[in-house]
Amino acid sequence: MESTQRKLVSLVTAILATIVFGGPAAGQSVGGDDWETLFKEKVSFGGFVENTTGFSISHGSRFFNTSNRFIMNRFTVQPEFNFEFAEAFKLFLSWRFVAEPRYSAETKSREAAVQPAGTGGALPADFYSEYKGVPWEAVADILPTDRLHLRIGRQFISWGETDGQRLLDVINPQNLTFSPPAAVNLFSLEESRVPQWGIRMLYTVRPVSNTILELFANPGFENKKDRVDEFAPTNDISDGKADGDLRYGRWSAHPESRMPVARLLANPVGPVPVVVPAFKRDYPDAGDAWKIGGRITHSFGELNAGVGYIRGYNPQANDMVFKMKSAPTSCGPPACPPGGTLVRADLVNDQTNIFAAHFNYPLGDPLGIPIKSAMRGELAFYPNKPYNIGEFPGRNCNTGVATGLRAGPSCEHSDNVVEKHTVRYALGLDRSTFIPFLQDDPWRPFRMSLQIFQSIILDHEDGIRAFGHATKIERVSTLFTFRIGTGYLGDTILPDIFLGYDPAGYYTVNPAITYQPPWNEKIQLTLTSAIYGGHNKFGGLGLFSEKDSVFLKMRYQF
Amino acid sequence: MKLTAQSHGSVARNDTVACVFLYIVILLSFPGIISAAEADLKPGDTIGPQNWQSIEGMVGENLLNRVKGGYTIQIKPSKTYRPLKEYVEATERYSGKVALGPNGELLNYVAGQPFPKFDPSDPQIGQKLAWNFFYRWLGDDYKTGGAVKGGKIIRAAIEKDGSERRADLVSYFLFPSTRYSLNPKPAIPGYEHIDFMQLRVDSYPRDASGTTTLEIRYKDPGRADDLYIYLPSIRRIRRATTTQRCQTLAPSEFNLDDINSFNGKITDFNYKYLGDKKILANISQEHLPFARKPGDYLPLDEKWEVVDTHVLEVTPKDSSYCYPRKLLHLNKVTFDTHWTLMWDNKGAYWKEQFGFFTPVKLADGREVWSVGDVVIHNVQNGRTTIVTATRAYNQGYPASMFSLGTLQSIMRGGSIE
Repeated sequence: MESTQRKLVSLVTAILATIVFGGPAAGQSVGGDDWETLFKEKVSFGGFVENTTGFSISHGSRFFNTSNRFIMNRFTVQPEFNFEFAEAFKLFLSWRFVAEPRYSAETKSREAAVQPAGTGGALPADFYSEYKGVPWEAVADILPTDRLHLRIGRQFISWGETDGQRLLDVINPQNLTFSPPAAVNLFSLEESRVPQWGIRMLYTVRPVSNTILELFANPGFENKKDRVDEFAPTNDISDGKADGDLRYGRWSAHPESRMPVARLLANPVGPVPVVVPAFKRDYPDAGDAWKIGGRITHSFGELNAGVGYIRGYNPQANDMVFKMKSAPTSCGPPACPPGGTLVRADLVNDQTNIFAAHFNYPLGDPLGIPIKSAMRGELAFYPNKPYNIGEFPGRNCNTGVATGLRAGPSCEHSDNVVEKHTVRYALGLDRSTFIPFLQDDPWRPFRMSLQIFQSIILDHEDGIRAFGHATKIERVSTLFTFRIGTGYLGDTILPDIFLGYDPAGYYTVNPAITYQPPWNEKIQLTLTSAIYGGHNKFGGLGLFSEKDSVFLKMRYQF
Repeated sequence: MKLTAQSHGSVARNDTVACVFLYIVILLSFPGIISAAEADLKPGDTIGPQNWQSIEGMVGENLLNRVKGGYTIQIKPSKTYRPLKEYVEATERYSGKVALGPNGELLNYVAGQPFPKFDPSDPQIGQKLAWNFFYRWLGDDYKTGGAVKGGKIIRAAIEKDGSERRADLVSYFLFPSTRYSLNPKPAIPGYEHIDFMQLRVDSYPRDASGTTTLEIRYKDPGRADDLYIYLPSIRRIRRATTTQRCQTLAPSEFNLDDINSFNGKITDFNYKYLGDKKILANISQEHLPFARKPGDYLPLDEKWEVVDTHVLEVTPKDSSYCYPRKLLHLNKVTFDTHWTLMWDNKGAYWKEQFGFFTPVKLADGREVWSVGDVVIHNVQNGRTTIVTATRAYNQGYPASMFSLGTLQSIMRGGSIE
């Protein structure tokens, strides 16, 4: 084993040395014919340039008038290089450069939402921009044998079978600050996923049955913000320092939803039932942000399935909880209204175990019924997953008497966090179907995908609430999604619609139409919109009901 | 009656007329007989609007219309390929026990040409020719695009108005249970139940690059192909059903069953042998890709040759299938198709496809044939797809390459070899 490791290290070192110090023969200058041949034969270049422009179309938002509905002008350049030095050694490098300004509508929203009042000014001018010299992706692919594949470097590791929403795809965090939620036709999961340094191994144990063993390890070397999902929170508190951690932005839920959070955590100390939360994001330390995992997949006849395990820091923003750090205290201006209460809490996540499973299976014509669909599913079991919990209605923990407030801190859990076993699963059906009367080419299919996502909290308690807006988290939460897309005129016009529906009464609609000119395969124009709604704006996708927007995305590929 | 000289002459004239009439009747009745037009074509001839009749029936109807409209075809000497020695040996060793099952399935087949000897009067000759086509020599493996400069398939999708879009891809085939040259022979252990496996990787344009499909065809006629697709935009491997074989692989004019001219499961169709025919093809393509005007698909720098073919009519057992009728023109030696003609369910002429072939060399220097440029033209919507797909055979690809492990390790723009 050790000898093999040494040989592997020696091989990699030798290859790298050959690349760096070899190449042109002695006596020839750098930049000569040999280098030109090397680059022509071994290096390929690609990438894209893109501009995305967005306008708000919401009515009733007090932060918009017709002159400032401009909410996105995002310019992205992503060059990509493939270096194929040998069959057993390849390199892929890409960089991502993003230039995006701040927006006046967003600034107005922050001025009203961030506390203390008046402290929520404009975000830093380069908040959405990305100019890192570090490659976006930088991986070395090494194939010591035809069955063993190693990928080392800054990379994406994506598990799962779902579209639009993540369930097992939680190894890499996501940057959710620049994209409207669930707008998969605007920015795909790929565009919001954040790469991480790591090593991934795939070993094909038995190719004919697709028996594959996968192991990965991410040490968590990134800067702290890249270790977890970056999101636009509902609440932000300024501690008076310009630390750039204030992220209330254009894709935050509207500010009215933040108040119940305060009441979730605090039993007002002062006479005035107004509570102001003061919290900070607790990023994992460099030594705590690691992740490891493994899975094995196998085909049992037509069924392909796998089981796996992930251990490490849970990067998901939606899984974060408030941990109350100290007892509430009285506070006054400027932080609070006179007679108010201040609650200090940390927004945290923690080391998590995830037991994972997935499957896919083609349904042809079972029992003669022409289903002709591919079925897929994935499951994640979180033992002892943390949730925020409180008293509804609020009560004095010493006397048991109701406080008269809608909510209050938990009397049993001093940090307002409880742990429950949780099962999350998703099932999907994919089908290509012909609808000739809706098509110019009767044999161009409509591709449809139907998914159900559910989260089930075992041993549920009534006080479990979402930290952002304190709406109740039911024992079973459900989301349906439906997607349909096709192409017209030789796939020069490509409509696609993504729909999300929560039976609790919330929805999102993300239609898009893409034009690819028949005279140039490099150009792509997409007109899309993100629409949200529900029976109220204090829960689920209704939180974004004032964020309806349209976008034009122009991409040039090279 | 005494015959006078004048009456002798009359009798002679009448006999001549009768012979000519009989000859014409025979000519029109038996398609296997060489037509006067076919017999007249010789190397160096040029066919154009002035003499298009001489190639009528030897090319697809749309190409013939283009010739009528001004396109010219030059005839060159016909090239002959010889089957590979190993393939012939396998045929001799194994074909004696091969038979057809009640549903047209192949029984006792191991390797080689299933039915090297066939009788035109055999009612099952169509089915036998179809199996000969399916198990024609295609190497033990090949990389489509492997013998093209750049190592990739170049695909041009041409609109009716001449607009073009380009795409590059590469495809790998492995025939794990019919191996002639590379060990293990004749099958890779554990893969005896698999006919072929195909990996197809898109490499240009950028958004499509990295999209990879893995298709597995099983010998079991009752088992549908497995099809997995890796989508780089969501980094997911998706399972697809292959029951919708008629779906257009947009923006090309191919569908799943058009690949390699006919890619359906043999037992899903009925076959009728329509006889032998000489057609115009090009099995010694010189320029890859051939020169053409931008926005058009007609080769400008290639000559054509007269090739002997078997004509096979393919009709589906499923009445909802897209091609109620498809004609394959199979090379008598190689059993590759040169012309494929397709009609829609209203009986209207729909698509025609012609494939050029070109000589390529194996690693040991022996010459074999490969597909060169393939053109499929949709007569009804005016769109054309051209694919330059020359193959590199017997590369020794490991079976492990054709597994989900490869799909999980694809990078945009990268290769998988």
